[in-house]
Formats: sequence, C-alpha cells, structure tokens
Amino acid sequence: MKTLIKIKPNSYKVGDIVKVDFMAMHPMESGMRKDKDTGKIVPAHYINEVNFLFNDKVLTKMVTWESLSVNPVLSISLKVSGAGTLKVLAKDNKGESVETSAAITPKG
Amino acid sequence: MERRSFLKGFGTVTACAALIPTITHAADEAKKVTGPNEMSTESAIAAITGGKPVTASAKVSLSAPEIAENGAVVPVKVSVESPMSANDHVKAIHVLATKNNNTRCANVYLTPANGEASFGTRVKLGSTQDVLAIAEMSDGTFLSAKQNVKVTIGGCG
Repeated sequence: MKTLIKIKPNSYKVGDIVKVDFMAMHPMESGMRKDKDTGKIVPAHYINEVNFLFNDKVLTKMVTWESLSVNPVLSISLKVSGAGTLKVLAKDNKGESVETSAAITPKG
Repeated sequence: MERRSFLKGFGTVTACAALIPTITHAADEAKKVTGPNEMSTESAIAAITGGKPVTASAKVSLSAPEIAENGAVVPVKVSVESPMSANDHVKAIHVLATKNNNTRCANVYLTPANGEASFGTRVKLGSTQDVLAIAEMSDGTFLSAKQNVKVTIGGCG
C-alpha cells in the first residue's frame, strides 16, 4: 500500500488551519465484483481503519468501508499548534498496515 | 403406435420445459451476491445514533455533484459549523450512501485539535441515490444533511 500526505497551503503560521490530504493506493474491493476472466467473486479488500496522530496525540480516527473509491483520498483539517510530526496509520481488512508521517513546520 | 410414442415424448418435453425456468430462477436466487458488510440505511443510522432523533440542519453542509457521470468516483465534502472548542465541538461525522449494499462509507471521529469540522473523500455509488451526512455534536445531538446524486454509470460494476 503506497501512501502520501499532502498539506495545503505550503506555508502556514501557528494558529492557521491547514488541510491535510491522506492518499493511499488501494484497490478497495467491495467483495461483490466478479472477475471478468475467471467469473469468480473477487474477495473484499478495503481500508477499514485510518488514524491521524499529531505529536503522538490522537487527532482524528476513522472507520472506513468498501464504499470509498479506489485509491481513496481522505482529507481533514488541522489547527497548527506548533512544530511537530503528523503520523497516519492505515490498516486494511487483510491485516496489512502502513505508517506515513509528514513534518509540520510553521513559519513565523 | 407412432402417434402414441410421439405424444409421450411431447408430454415429457413440455413437462421439462415447464420445470426448467423455475430451476434456473431458484439457482439465480441462490447465486445472489451478498457483501460482507451489508447494512441498510435504517440499521446504520440506528447503530450511529443509538435510537436518538436526527434533525436536518443548515449547520451541516454537504457538497456533492448533482449529476455524477461516473459513480465510481463521486467527490463528497462535509463541513459542520462549530467553534471546535473543548466544550462545543463536533465529535464525529458519518457519511452514508443510502442505496449502496453497505450504506456506511466512513465514520470520522474528530477532536478539538482539528480546528474545523470538515471531511472530504470520494465514494462509490451503485445507483442514483441520496448521500447522507450525520454530525454527532459534543452535547449529544445529531444533525444531518443530505443530497441526491444522479448517477449515469454505476460504480459497483
């Protein structure tokens, strides 16, 4: 699972509210689709848990289901309280987990 | 003799022909695919609210396209008017696609550190339906907003 964190805008100050986009490369199979070649049902495979942590404190927890699109994008807001690291932990229903982090460096 | 055997044969053929459609129909019913997390809108809302009433509110704004050309990627944005202070904030935002087999899309549990109650993602919609957002406030009330999205090509192919 490839993941990416984007923070918009590029430069921000302490007290600003920034947008955090978390993107993951994931098939998000619903478990209802049939494979066109074999005719068999493709088993469900989707991200079911995403946790956002800022300086190891819980910022946002998410429970997600197979109704999200392929390669989902999840965006939330963050009020910049100071410098630190934003960590995102994502898990799928097959037990695969991934950890991504981005530095929060306010200017001025 | 010929006439008799012909009638016999004809009789069995028609009997088989009458049976065949019912058999295949039953087989189709058995083959009906059920998703692993199938859940109706009513039970999903009940699981979120625990039986408390949900009121439609202008404080919750849900933005989704009115017509989605491709149901596989429908952008949905939810924002809730709230000061996001320790005493008065949005605890959670739930996004539901009311006619999908599993209506639940995402349950987002926010904290005051978010600064703003907003959530954006992209969902799959199987058919034309309402997208529903339910916001759980820190005082225990539930507010909601919904929008109908017309889907021209379904997303669950």
